[in-house]
Amino acid sequence: MSQQRKAIWEADLDEELQDVDLNLAIGSYGQNDLYNDVQSRIDEATLVAVQQQMAQQAAFASIPDVVKRFIVHFHQAVLENNLAEITVAYESGWNRLTEKFYAKTEWPEAEVIAPLVNDDQIFLILYRELYYRHVYSRLQPDIDDRFHSYENSCELFNYLLNSDGPVPLQLPEQWLWDIIDEFIYQFQSFCTWRTKVKSKTDEELQLLGEGNQVWSSYSVLNVLYSLIQKSKINEHILALQEGKSTEEIAEIVGEYGVRPLYRMLGYFSIIGLLRVHSLLGDFTLALKVMENVELNQKSPFTRVTACHVTTYYYVGFCYIMLRRYSDAIRAFVSILNFILRMRQYHTRSYQYDQINKTADRMYALFAICNALSPSRLDDNIFNTAKERFGEQITKMSRGEEGIPAFEELFIYACPKFISANPPPYEDPELLQAYIDDPPVEPIQRHLSLFLSEVRAQVPVPTLRSFLKLYTSLDAKKLANFLDADEEEMVQQMMVMKQASRSISRVENGKGLLDGQTISTSDLDFVIDDNMVHIAESTVGRRYAGWFIRNTEHAQRVYDTIKSSPLPPRKVNVTQTQPAQAAPAPPRNAGAKVAWGGIKVA
Amino acid sequence: MVSASEWAAPPTRTELIENLVSGVDRYNPNNVGILEDYLYHQIRSQEYDCLANLAILKLYQFNPDLYNPDVVINILIKALTAYPFPDFNLCISLLDERPFPANPDEPDPLPSLLPVLTSLYNLLQQCRFPAFWALYRSDKAESLRDNYTVECVGFEDSVREVVIRAVTPAFKRIGTDRLSTYLDLSGDDLTAYIEKLGWSLDAESGVATLPLNPDNQIVSTVVQENIQLPQLTKIIAHTQTVA
Repeated sequence: MSQQRKAIWEADLDEELQDVDLNLAIGSYGQNDLYNDVQSRIDEATLVAVQQQMAQQAAFASIPDVVKRFIVHFHQAVLENNLAEITVAYESGWNRLTEKFYAKTEWPEAEVIAPLVNDDQIFLILYRELYYRHVYSRLQPDIDDRFHSYENSCELFNYLLNSDGPVPLQLPEQWLWDIIDEFIYQFQSFCTWRTKVKSKTDEELQLLGEGNQVWSSYSVLNVLYSLIQKSKINEHILALQEGKSTEEIAEIVGEYGVRPLYRMLGYFSIIGLLRVHSLLGDFTLALKVMENVELNQKSPFTRVTACHVTTYYYVGFCYIMLRRYSDAIRAFVSILNFILRMRQYHTRSYQYDQINKTADRMYALFAICNALSPSRLDDNIFNTAKERFGEQITKMSRGEEGIPAFEELFIYACPKFISANPPPYEDPELLQAYIDDPPVEPIQRHLSLFLSEVRAQVPVPTLRSFLKLYTSLDAKKLANFLDADEEEMVQQMMVMKQASRSISRVENGKGLLDGQTISTSDLDFVIDDNMVHIAESTVGRRYAGWFIRNTEHAQRVYDTIKSSPLPPRKVNVTQTQPAQAAPAPPRNAGAKVAWGGIKVA
Repeated sequence: MVSASEWAAPPTRTELIENLVSGVDRYNPNNVGILEDYLYHQIRSQEYDCLANLAILKLYQFNPDLYNPDVVINILIKALTAYPFPDFNLCISLLDERPFPANPDEPDPLPSLLPVLTSLYNLLQQCRFPAFWALYRSDKAESLRDNYTVECVGFEDSVREVVIRAVTPAFKRIGTDRLSTYLDLSGDDLTAYIEKLGWSLDAESGVATLPLNPDNQIVSTVVQENIQLPQLTKIIAHTQTVA
């Protein structure tokens, strides 16, 4: 009784205390008439707090026990830095429970489950990261979700970067990549949402007007650059390439860089920068930040498949925009082969769908590159691309009519470009002007730039088909065939010549921007005043490589079999039968049982 | 042709600029002045540094209040002369949506000049050199010529270099009439220019012969397989070990 009176008395003073008391009060239940009495004295704030508390209680009670146990177990694993347990909980536990209980709704809020984890703020930040990731992927985030997820990310990075010294946390690499990936994805999603001015409510307009710093490009770039600088990942990679010893490396990278958490975060941030710069339209800078990363199977980014795929996708796309089609083709071919090979191991992963979608877009980009710069290719990939995009491929090689096909594939396959600046939410006048006359969307801008390149190369396929038929030809005659003005035709031939030369990375080139001019076409020509001389290169049949590879494979198989232990000798079937029959009769005889004389058959 | 590494890091770039371009300082709005001065240096001395100019555009992208249309137009003019590198398109990619008109007194010349610049670039892409010169000398490009290209030292010569870059791989010999339409030079100017390039001119037939280069010597090749002995060592070694 006295407890309740105290609660009422101190209602205005200390909300926290009051919460606790009310807890007990609600729990004890039967004192309704007393409450009716004093209901009017409780003011608005406490009522709201009471309701919140009750809601939280109800929410807490509605969490299935399985989930509660999972959260406790997860928390324990994080506290103990038990990497294996964390990985299991993160990869399979979370997804299983999402499928089972939270496929269409949100996970319980962090405040609700806080008691389970003793209000461990670090764990709650990580939990919120997963919570918002779920909201963004399965549900529609509203403006509050977006603002809060930004704040949560800031808190997380603040914790990682601005604590005194490196934090003693250990997380699986997949999670680290997902943190960076999701951060950029939320940024991109916010930018796209932000530009849709017309569909905003007044409240949203106001919040956006005030919250200029939320998800600003500078802050996102700041996070990524800080992670790179803190972990000194670029120096680390250079030191590895120069073959320095582990102690020297440890000295170079400092206390942050030696910890795997920071090292991997720094590394993934480089890939993150590649992505952000591509989204903002700065393709050279995107490739420049990757200058120390080597694109081969040994690089650390291949350890996380999603990261691997993403890297190649963006690198290939940047090459396309830089008109280095052969480099782009090379990138796409290697990653598509990789995806084909590892497809069977990843069917259970929740990223399987995403990887497949990216692979599909890469097939489209590969088809585009191939149309613009035909070269001897990997038949396997080409056939798959043809299955998927055969119609567009035939259209694209037909010159002028093919431009819509280029447009279609480009729009399908390009990254979701964003614009760096928000609409002017702070100033209603400017905002109205913006609504009346919206600027061109980034994707349209990049599309028109790409199409201008394509258009320049439109006459090339027809010229090619004619030139293939001759070794030398008078320019006037060629013009007659093409039904074109001679001068125009000569200009088109210069275009064709330029189209067949492009910059490509050679063996020893360092960095992705490097390269030398190579010839990419098998058809070459030169104009001698008015005569055109043509030469074609062909590839001789290559069979030696195939034979060598298969011979070695057969050798390996043979050696393996020869050196394996022999299987145990099996006795012949015909011999065993009489042996089996023989013991049977004596057994029968021996099995005669004393009681009742029943014979055992 | 300039190799890509030179394009990415031209030898004329100073160390200060190099640090700005390669580091995090490129995002610092206070550094835009340094980069703009460097641009004007490029204009006056006929040098070119693509990445530094892109850095300026990126700063404009993030800080619309720094936007200076003259600088942008100068960058685009310089990028025109870099063809066949895709610089012009890269610059346009970084020109975000219209920046908000900061100063209503000085109208923004960019929206009117941009289509002209884009058409000039398209003509270069399609190697339509006579049309390029026609457009360039026409009224539409008058404002461009009077205000901008006149300040850019050697703009026309740089464009002629672009033309030469396109002509050299495709031709062994080219008629002087054709060449003069491409270069927008005639008579003595043309002769002087050809001699400067080191080509030999046959005055009576009016044909200029280009020096041989890897691109205009065509050889039909058959790419044969080249099997080296080391590749076969494993197989041969195996035949020895098999009993």
